[in-house]
Amino acid sequence: METLNRQTANIIVWLLLLAMPFWIKALGGYTELCTQVLVYALAAMALNFLLGFTGVLSFGHAAYFGLGAYGVAMTIKYLVASTPLALLVGIVVGTIAAAIIGWLIVNLRGVYFAMVTIAFGQVFYFITFRWNNVTGGDDGLTGWSRVPIDLGFTRIDILHNPTAFYYVVLAIFAVAVGIMAFLLRSPFGRTLLAIRENERRARFLGIPVERHIWLSFLISCLFVSLAGGLYALLNNFVDPRALRWDMSGNFVIIAVLGGMRSFWGPMIGAAIFVVLQDYVSSMTENWMSFLGLFFVLIVLFFPRGVLGILRRKSLS
Amino acid sequence: MTEEIFSKKLDRRTVIKTAALAGAAQIASPFVITARAADVVKIGLDNPLTGTFAAVGKNELIGCQLAVEQINAKGGILGRKVDLLVEDSTSGDAGTAVQKARKLIDRDKVNFLLGNVNSALALAMAQVSNEKGVFHVVPGGHTDAVTGATCHWNVFRVCNPTQTEANAVTPSLIKNMGKKWYYITPDYAFGHTLQAGLEKACAKAGGTKVGGDLTPLGTTDFSSYLIKAQAAKPDVIIMLPQGDDMINLMKQAVQFGLDKKIHLAGGQQELEALEGLPPEARIGTWVFEWYWNQPGVAHVADFVAAIKKKTGRVPTARTWFGFAATWSCKLAAENAKSLEAVKMAKAFQGFKLPPEIALMPDTAFYREGQNQLIPNLWVGNAQGKGSAGPDDLFHVTQVVKGADVSETLQETGCKMTWPA
Repeated sequence: METLNRQTANIIVWLLLLAMPFWIKALGGYTELCTQVLVYALAAMALNFLLGFTGVLSFGHAAYFGLGAYGVAMTIKYLVASTPLALLVGIVVGTIAAAIIGWLIVNLRGVYFAMVTIAFGQVFYFITFRWNNVTGGDDGLTGWSRVPIDLGFTRIDILHNPTAFYYVVLAIFAVAVGIMAFLLRSPFGRTLLAIRENERRARFLGIPVERHIWLSFLISCLFVSLAGGLYALLNNFVDPRALRWDMSGNFVIIAVLGGMRSFWGPMIGAAIFVVLQDYVSSMTENWMSFLGLFFVLIVLFFPRGVLGILRRKSLS
Repeated sequence: MTEEIFSKKLDRRTVIKTAALAGAAQIASPFVITARAADVVKIGLDNPLTGTFAAVGKNELIGCQLAVEQINAKGGILGRKVDLLVEDSTSGDAGTAVQKARKLIDRDKVNFLLGNVNSALALAMAQVSNEKGVFHVVPGGHTDAVTGATCHWNVFRVCNPTQTEANAVTPSLIKNMGKKWYYITPDYAFGHTLQAGLEKACAKAGGTKVGGDLTPLGTTDFSSYLIKAQAAKPDVIIMLPQGDDMINLMKQAVQFGLDKKIHLAGGQQELEALEGLPPEARIGTWVFEWYWNQPGVAHVADFVAAIKKKTGRVPTARTWFGFAATWSCKLAAENAKSLEAVKMAKAFQGFKLPPEIALMPDTAFYREGQNQLIPNLWVGNAQGKGSAGPDDLFHVTQVVKGADVSETLQETGCKMTWPA
């Protein structure tokens, strides 16, 4: 019964995502807003792989998000005009950085881990901020744009056709999310849950806890840098703010908002966050207060996030 | 504890439901706004309303609003009513500015895009507007690249490139203050190019650079920079930050007593910053890009009166930027008798602003092949109290012709490519 429910829920989610560019217009949205929801959702779901399913809080994921973004931007601007190759470079750059930093910090726990991730995140932020000649500094990296994808038999013009770009992003999103779901269901994923629930017991069972947390961090950062690359492609632009601590904070907020114990929770959170930001900021310049208030309300009354409420409702 | 309170006085579920409803109402209400009449001409303003540039951004908004009122009173654009859509781009977050530009272009289908105060955001927005082929006027982002190395056929600019400002103010600086310059420069596009411009102009006039520091946007404590600057023993500290940063920097410099030992001056100065300073800190030689007190120049008094009626204060250069940028939209459309961006941009090459919009002694025109407005510039000194009332905070010593201090088209590096 429960698996049936879960399957219907999955089907509904995918149908909604597939049709999003059509129904969002009726609601007063626009295609790029959908793409933005997907990008933030991917980033938050990747963070949640670590936060919700391994129980480790990282406050520096924007660093890998931004590295992915700069990897993509600089590849297209300086090296080759190829979108898939640029994405690949972005992922590799972000993941290598994560592998090294993860190895350094994997012995830390709780708030210490969170603080060191912020610190490393800010290191990358200041490098991009200061290195004017290469990264464009505070002005960001302009003068490049995403390149149409050549599949041999056909060409997808993702530059001038926002809907085509949305579906390309959706396809990438689907693959990434599929891999994460698969990993979570595998024995490896179950081991992560065990570490989350009781690290000491997991250690007594002979599980190499540090290695698992490192791997989880690595996988999480891999998908975050993919999201960062897509973010750069979406804006045709990247600036150091993509790496700053407040971006990391946004990802954590999104994950908590949607519900960090559930797989789809961060996506709901991303949709709420992006849409709320988009609409409220058009109405009032104090939009950040509303976003903050909303977050406080959620944390106070629904600590399991929006999906947590829905799930509890269906159980009762 | 909370559980108890709620269950006694108020059912917890009711609270939750009310909160959810209130939240939903926040999201749901704006959808109604999208049902707008299709036959209006839309101008989208994507400019800072929060952060360091909030004050100048809001003044540009006021200028835009006045222009839209006047345009609508005179029959709109090509006989259609004009709507101004306003979005907060934030003061430094290019991601938001780009997202808002997309929103205005894709969802709201604006005919014209205006913005941005922040040079970096202006560059990022220009890329979006160019990609979408929308007529874009930059009211107040000064970095040279906007109409220089990365100029676009669809992007016009009202305010001056930093090199023009540097060329205008340098002779006075050298004459009044001395030849050894130290720079305190904000670390983003505008600051970099303004400093480079001043260095170039200074070297030409025989001056030298004795040092400099880059300060991040939004710096509040400048003491370490000021100590370093003092130690370099310059004749003059050139202060280039803008907005709240400029106010903090000037206040701290005067508190330190630096003004007694070294000249404090700079490139661009704005009335907003002078208004925010105590009278004793209103010092130094600067360049203004527009000034409200222009005795004997036609139409200026009417504009000042209209803005005073609207806000109770005199217009600043920013108010005029917004005003001129918005009027440029109407003039471009009616000049081309079309709302097609390419036609408007082509017909607007070399266009001269009429005196009631230009509001300055000489003719202001959009230079052909660069889309840059060439106006007058006002060089002078900041003053604690002027002869023309409490708003007269700038003593103009010289009105410079933009054409005399602008780089040549070749020097700007602008190579315009038109869509086929």
